[in-house]
Amino acid sequence: MKKSISILVWLGVSILGALALGTIALHRGEEINAMWLVVAAFCAYALGYRFYSKFVSAKVLALDAQRATPAERLDDGRDFVPTNKWVVFGHHFAAIAGPGPLVGPVLAAQFGYLPGTLWILAGAVFGGCVQDFVILLFSVRRDGRSLTEMAREEIGVVGGFVAYAAVISIIVILLGAGALIVVNALKSSPWGVFTIAMTIPIALLMGFYLRHLRPGKVLEVSFLGFVLVMLAIWGGQWVSQTPTVAPWFTLTAPALAIVIIIYGFAASALPVWLLLAPRDYLSTFVKLGTIGLLALGIIVLRPTLHMPPLTRFVDGSGPIFAGKIFPFAFITIACGAISGFHSLISSGTTPKLIRREPETRMVGYGAMMAESMVAIMATIACCVLQPGIYFAINSPAGVVGQVPESAAATISSWGFPVTAAGMHALAQAVGEQTLFNRTGGAPAFAVGMAHIFSSSLGGQAVMAIWYHFAIMFEALFILTVLDAGTRVGRFMVQDALGHIWKPLGRTSWYPSILATSALIVAAWGSFLWQGVKDPLGGINSLWPLFGICNQLLATVALCVATTIIVKMGKVRYSPVTLVPLIWLVAVTFTASWHKIFDPSPRIGFLAHARQLASSRTPTHEMSRWIFNDRLDAAVAGVLVCMVALILLESISVWVSVASGRMQARVREAPFVLTRFAAEEQG
Amino acid sequence: MSSSTEKAGSNAKRTAECCSGRTRASISTWFTGLIRLLLSTVREIFDESAYARFLARHSISSCPDAYAAFLREHGTAKARRPKCC
Repeated sequence: MKKSISILVWLGVSILGALALGTIALHRGEEINAMWLVVAAFCAYALGYRFYSKFVSAKVLALDAQRATPAERLDDGRDFVPTNKWVVFGHHFAAIAGPGPLVGPVLAAQFGYLPGTLWILAGAVFGGCVQDFVILLFSVRRDGRSLTEMAREEIGVVGGFVAYAAVISIIVILLGAGALIVVNALKSSPWGVFTIAMTIPIALLMGFYLRHLRPGKVLEVSFLGFVLVMLAIWGGQWVSQTPTVAPWFTLTAPALAIVIIIYGFAASALPVWLLLAPRDYLSTFVKLGTIGLLALGIIVLRPTLHMPPLTRFVDGSGPIFAGKIFPFAFITIACGAISGFHSLISSGTTPKLIRREPETRMVGYGAMMAESMVAIMATIACCVLQPGIYFAINSPAGVVGQVPESAAATISSWGFPVTAAGMHALAQAVGEQTLFNRTGGAPAFAVGMAHIFSSSLGGQAVMAIWYHFAIMFEALFILTVLDAGTRVGRFMVQDALGHIWKPLGRTSWYPSILATSALIVAAWGSFLWQGVKDPLGGINSLWPLFGICNQLLATVALCVATTIIVKMGKVRYSPVTLVPLIWLVAVTFTASWHKIFDPSPRIGFLAHARQLASSRTPTHEMSRWIFNDRLDAAVAGVLVCMVALILLESISVWVSVASGRMQARVREAPFVLTRFAAEEQG
Repeated sequence: MSSSTEKAGSNAKRTAECCSGRTRASISTWFTGLIRLLLSTVREIFDESAYARFLARHSISSCPDAYAAFLREHGTAKARRPKCC
């Protein structure tokens, strides 16, 4: 009886999911309700979790409830702590949820809502969730080893080196792209700049409060910080409307870039407790709250999607970024479907907290599903806007021009009507001077989010408050990644330089701290500067480069996972990670080829450099752009070559094992019987 | 109405009251458990649990010096942890 009910329920979920997907995919020329996306996502995740992740855990990984995890065996009350699975789930989700799944889907919506939605769902269920799950389990079985260590042990020396290089490259490019998004969101916006500037003294106050007034009361101080940030948002309105104060906070893009570079350097060099830790707490508090609020807003409002399922830009002529739907939609969405960066978290803190092996399924597979849902919400937030407004906000001045009337005319000529007066009214409603050419994804997401929030709560009167809340949320989010990322990058550079000269590796030696901080800030700062100065809108080059790096890191993680599965003697189940790996190799290698060699100057770095070089009136600035193009091409080329090396090394291991030339043996920690199972039975 | 019918009616009423009381109690237990779980999750995310474990491990009570020592031990590890994209 119970089984029959279960079969009926899952049949119902399957039919509902198919109906929702059919509605999303087959409706042409009609607007659909956003709830179809939500229903399709819930059904896809439910089916993926119930059936596919169960298959992976039972057949491929053979999760063993009797096997003690490192959290139990190595319990030290510090790094290794057996923790309740829901607590680990929350911890893991808070760690993996970054700005990527918010920005990527917003940019990819230039193709329409359909390609992004389908890839977010399929990519997560068959790729991203599987990657996070298997890497987490393999790390658990290796005493919480990192991805780099597993790559070195299971594949070879090249694997370890490539993983390290990919991690540092992705950090540098991510920081450059992230900082550029913040610059584009805050340029000429005194309200936004004031609010974000205020988060620095608020974080310093929180650090002081935590350290000296109420030690360890993080939740209390985070709530206090949140209230102060809300006051800063409210105060920002007064700043923007006060003619004597507003100019102090009205900054151009280059000025903002310089301020952010100085901030990144200071955050890396200052003590952790003073700025980095309190900002991290504040950002996490705002992040979890806002994601919950957005989900609630979408469910309550059930908005209509105005964006068509497919736009004319699937042919590669998109204004936001150039390139065809394959491979660029997949590169752009990145973290919402599969993120290489997650494999660092899955082989970092999380495996040291897992209490029982079977819990890796819920934590690894489940948390990525939640992240993917955030990407679906981002898609909805930008697709509820009229397409004309979406393209007006996201198109760079280099494509549509700087004059509002001509930009509006260009966008309208694409079949997405918009007027300069309408855009001006919208800018006024959200408390901005203009919304044209606000590239990067963050302002479009903020307008969409403000539209959803204000329709659910407060009406048009509070649209400006919600918009700046959304901008503050994104900027705070990205700046937290930026300051923490700069510090992580600094540690990685110090570790490497320590092999050359020992004092450089000492993390408490100030000359080394200053030198390595400057090095890492200069690395991402140069990408940021390039993005700010690029007439076509730097996000056009930087985001695809970031996407390529991120997906290449996922390729490394899937190589490690496939190698371990093959070495476990389960070659016939290797397609579970091999198929996403083949797909990612096809996507990343094709995208890299286009970004380097495509003859169109809007896509290929080298073609763009050639076009600039052939100019009749070369300027000093032009030679810098040419250098930037060649640098971007070199970065993409080197990364692809390194990943090709790790792929070849992995294939050699697979062939050796399959042909019997190499013994199929994995380097797992020895089996120890868990005491938790006995406790539960007792 | 006969006394046996009255008795049966009052029994049924008592059973219904008892059941609804039990349901209320189980809902309240479930809700308390949920709140407790949510709180422990946010305490873990915000490192309050890590600080509590630190205090227990070193058998000391919370004070600015203890928190400074915790930050020295925990801060380095935290600063080395990559933030996700």
